[in-house]
Amino acid sequence: MRIDWQTLALQTINVLILVAILARFLFRPVVAIMDERREAAAKLLADAETEKTKAVAAREAAETEAARIAASRDAVLREASEAANAQREAALAAAREEADQVRSSAETETRWARAAEESAASDRSARLAVDVARKLVARLPDQARIDGFVDGLAQALAALPEASRGGFGAGDAARLIAPRALTAAELQSTRDALAKALGRTVDFAVVVDPAVIAGLELETPHAVVRNSFREDLKRIAEELTRHDGKGL
Amino acid sequence: MKSPLTLEPLFHLGPVAVTEPVVVSWAIIALLGIGSALATRRLAVLPSRGQALIELVVSTIDAQISGTMQTDPAPFRALIGSIFLFTLASNWSSLIPGVEPPTAHIETDAAMALIVFVATIAWGIRVRGLRGYLATYAEPTWVMIPLNVVEQFTRTFSLIIRLFGNVMSGVFIIGIILTLAGLLVPIPLMALDLLTGAVQAYIFAVLATVFIGAAVGERHSVSAEPKP
Repeated sequence: MRIDWQTLALQTINVLILVAILARFLFRPVVAIMDERREAAAKLLADAETEKTKAVAAREAAETEAARIAASRDAVLREASEAANAQREAALAAAREEADQVRSSAETETRWARAAEESAASDRSARLAVDVARKLVARLPDQARIDGFVDGLAQALAALPEASRGGFGAGDAARLIAPRALTAAELQSTRDALAKALGRTVDFAVVVDPAVIAGLELETPHAVVRNSFREDLKRIAEELTRHDGKGL
Repeated sequence: MKSPLTLEPLFHLGPVAVTEPVVVSWAIIALLGIGSALATRRLAVLPSRGQALIELVVSTIDAQISGTMQTDPAPFRALIGSIFLFTLASNWSSLIPGVEPPTAHIETDAAMALIVFVATIAWGIRVRGLRGYLATYAEPTWVMIPLNVVEQFTRTFSLIIRLFGNVMSGVFIIGIILTLAGLLVPIPLMALDLLTGAVQAYIFAVLATVFIGAAVGERHSVSAEPKP
């Protein structure tokens, strides 16, 4: 066995040429494309990281904005609640005041109505009493409706002031109002009683008025003397229907 | 049957005699070069199946270099990768009838071992500096200098003999059996030769990586400035 030095040299050159060829056409392009892919992946990861950072920042900003909105909403709700409470209190106060006014008015009206009702009831009672008295008196005998009142008329006439009494029936004609026509005796007794009270005779005309009920009334143009149930009942009714607390 | 230990020139290029291993090597170089050029002509970021296979081969070579040398594989990729691919292609060329693998001749193995030998010294000096590289021969102590110098040659010689012996023996045995037994009998041995060829290519490349890595030193960057 011997070594062929020429072959050894050629093979050495061949291997070196192969190293250069593979370095140029195999390893360099393959490594370049692998590096390019690695850089692309790194860029993608970097971009993804950047986007993630942006997304995180955006999310944090959104959370901050949401918190701010929530705080603002709470503040607005609190203010609205306070305003609503204030308005409600004001409305309640106004309503309470108005209710007080309405109640006061109602109480006043109720008082007025009660007073009016009491007055009406009192009037009705007075009228009822007068009607009852009128009906009771109407049952008296006709003689009693005149006789018992002559003296009273004379006394009332006598109780007049001197000036009034002096001019009574002096010039003008007097009228004697009676519930019925007087009998001659009744007429005479009446003349006598009047003459006695005035100290002179009095000329008068008899006028029948059933509304007098009982009693006599003497009228002149300047003076009137009444002694009758109509006048008494009228006065009683006036007294009963007075609402100033001074009535009967 | 020809003896694998002898070389007969096929033709002459002037004064230079061209033997069969040289011609086969040219064919292998042409095949690898043209194949590489065609395969890497349209590389894309999204790889095809073929591109993925090529990238797998390159990545595996890079991983092997990185795992052995603990440094960036880029400066050594072309040399180690080319030696591995050439050795593998040479070993498997025996499957072509009538073709003797170039690695079955000691000149081819010696050529690659010579390149590794020179590369080891060159990278050692480049990375460590001349003084630093020479100091590695005195490790762990100066007494070891003669042994380290002898080892530098013997390991290169063993690199040659290991590859040459394995491939040559395979070819020799297949030739003998083919002569004695017939056409189909050597097929199992040829299949075994495939495995042996791949293993020997791997061993040769790994040992070359180890030798260069030992000269460079662990964790030394080859791209660093040479030491004065």
